[in-house]
Amino acid sequence: MTWTMAQRQRLALENQILQNEGFTQFGVFHHPADDTYSAGGTATTSVGRNYHVFCMIPPSYPTQRPSLYITDPNPLLNFNGVAISRLGVSHAMHTLEPNTLGWVQICHWRADRWHAGIVLQKVFLKAMLWLEAYEQHLATGRDLADFVRTMQEAA
Amino acid sequence: MSDQRSMIRDAMQAIAQRKPGKSKLVYDKTKRTIVAVSEGVPTPQALNITADDADMFGVVTLSSGWLRDKWSSLTKAGSLPVGFSSWDDGDALTQLELCIQGSGTHAAATLVLGQQQGQASEGIVISIVPTDKPTHRSDVFVSPDNIAYRGELIEPAGPAANPRDVVFADIEPQLDLRRAGILETTVLKDRTVLCIGLGTGGALVAVELAKSGVGHFILVDRDRLSVGNVVRHPGGISQVGRTKVNVTRNLILEKNPGAQVEVHVMDVGFENRDVLAGLVQASDLVICGTDNRQSKLLINELCVSADKPAVYGGAFRRAYGGQILRVRPKQSPCQQCFVSSLPDEASDVEVSSQDDADAIAYSDRPVAVEPGLSLDVLPIATQLAKLAMLELLADKSSTLNVLKRDFDAPWYLWLNRPEPGTQYADMPPLSESRDEMTINRWYGIYFERDEQCPVCGDFLSGLAAAYGLDSTQLPALPEKE
Repeated sequence: MTWTMAQRQRLALENQILQNEGFTQFGVFHHPADDTYSAGGTATTSVGRNYHVFCMIPPSYPTQRPSLYITDPNPLLNFNGVAISRLGVSHAMHTLEPNTLGWVQICHWRADRWHAGIVLQKVFLKAMLWLEAYEQHLATGRDLADFVRTMQEAA
Repeated sequence: MSDQRSMIRDAMQAIAQRKPGKSKLVYDKTKRTIVAVSEGVPTPQALNITADDADMFGVVTLSSGWLRDKWSSLTKAGSLPVGFSSWDDGDALTQLELCIQGSGTHAAATLVLGQQQGQASEGIVISIVPTDKPTHRSDVFVSPDNIAYRGELIEPAGPAANPRDVVFADIEPQLDLRRAGILETTVLKDRTVLCIGLGTGGALVAVELAKSGVGHFILVDRDRLSVGNVVRHPGGISQVGRTKVNVTRNLILEKNPGAQVEVHVMDVGFENRDVLAGLVQASDLVICGTDNRQSKLLINELCVSADKPAVYGGAFRRAYGGQILRVRPKQSPCQQCFVSSLPDEASDVEVSSQDDADAIAYSDRPVAVEPGLSLDVLPIATQLAKLAMLELLADKSSTLNVLKRDFDAPWYLWLNRPEPGTQYADMPPLSESRDEMTINRWYGIYFERDEQCPVCGDFLSGLAAAYGLDSTQLPALPEKE
């Protein structure tokens, strides 16, 4: 599939919104070798730990939901030292199907709630909320879901 | 019963064989029935034959279209083999060429032009003989050289205890005639409908459109009919295991044998985007009966892009009600406008299969499969088919066009019951309400199209303005290997 002009324009605009709205640790990138797009960056939580988040922009974006992964650290461990990716689609940890490399997929919006009006800035905002909740999970052992409200359709 | 049946048969055979002095059948206007009048009987009270009685006799049905096609072969050879599907211990024989789905029991016969000489040695013989009966009758066949014929059945072992009539089925004219009262007979034959999602609702809509004379169908679904589907789906237990597109194709052809039906067994997902885009382009109208948001939004994007009207329908959870959204691209709200404006309503869907449940469940929070009853899905399918008809008739003259003022809204809501836990739980009873919402009524609801919709509007300008950016002056994206 080839990208439409509207898709390319939207991704450029979304990158500019990230930069202008204080999300400078994230960006949207073009990969000219295969004409694909990705978005991601390194988020630093309030306790000072760094996490790299990454998503390939799917070819039918924005109608198609982008999957957002934590690529580093890998494996990402839970309070008990178990890889979170082993939990699969977990409501307690707000995760979806992991990547084949073991990357944990954050549940930002589920497919049955995603729509084209949601922008990447909100996706990364949810990623940062997830990471803060993850830090609380590591500190207390409580489910990550205890710290984040079920993702509502707030877009 | 058997005495009456025997008397009717004797009377009819006597008339058919023109035996003098027996009896005749007369339509009695005052009684509005057919009465048999026997010679010497002063009052015509011997028999009362109603239309139902005529169905007492077994029937052998031949295809007029097939016979016309084979007529020159029959006239040259004098006879032709013909196969039948035999139903109900031979009570009805239907020519195989007419059968979309046969009985499983075949009967062989020979078609003979002219009177059969002597007794048939083996198998059934049908003599095609000239007749002076009116040509509009179902037991009369008009040959390509414009001569009327009837069929005489000769059983292999002499006269049968239950003789059968020979009738001719001329499919298209006979079906068109039934629709002619309300629909111009050819008005929908050139229309192509893309039906995506052939669950209970989608399949019912497709069959209703076939009955109404839609001539071309493209069917898309990935699923097979399961035993559990049978209590809702128009496909039956004998179809279990078949793909829903093929089950629905047969249901369509049973109702409209002349329809062209193309089937695609595939998922309505982004991986099939290009194929789906091609199918949308080839259609006049898209019916979307899928029950997940992703597929609806994908179809919506493709339809808006191709400027094709679409009708989306679905039941709410446990089919306590349902809704329909009709989208005329750039003229009325699209599915994306609907999702943005009414997110809760757009998310209320029936969980009718394990696949549906799995799609929204977590491994530690399962979702129950809770399908509704077929009778609660039927009103939604019926209304959707009606709205689809109006779209297909858009630029054509039709009696149904008077409905366009009634069905002007983009969104339609139906409630089967005041479901506890919903905003409709406290609706007044149907018999007590005049102005408030109740069950069993259609509500056409208006809402505005989003001028800055990401699919049908100018989203980028709106988004850029919201963030104080100029969408025409953006720097190039950073590049990465």
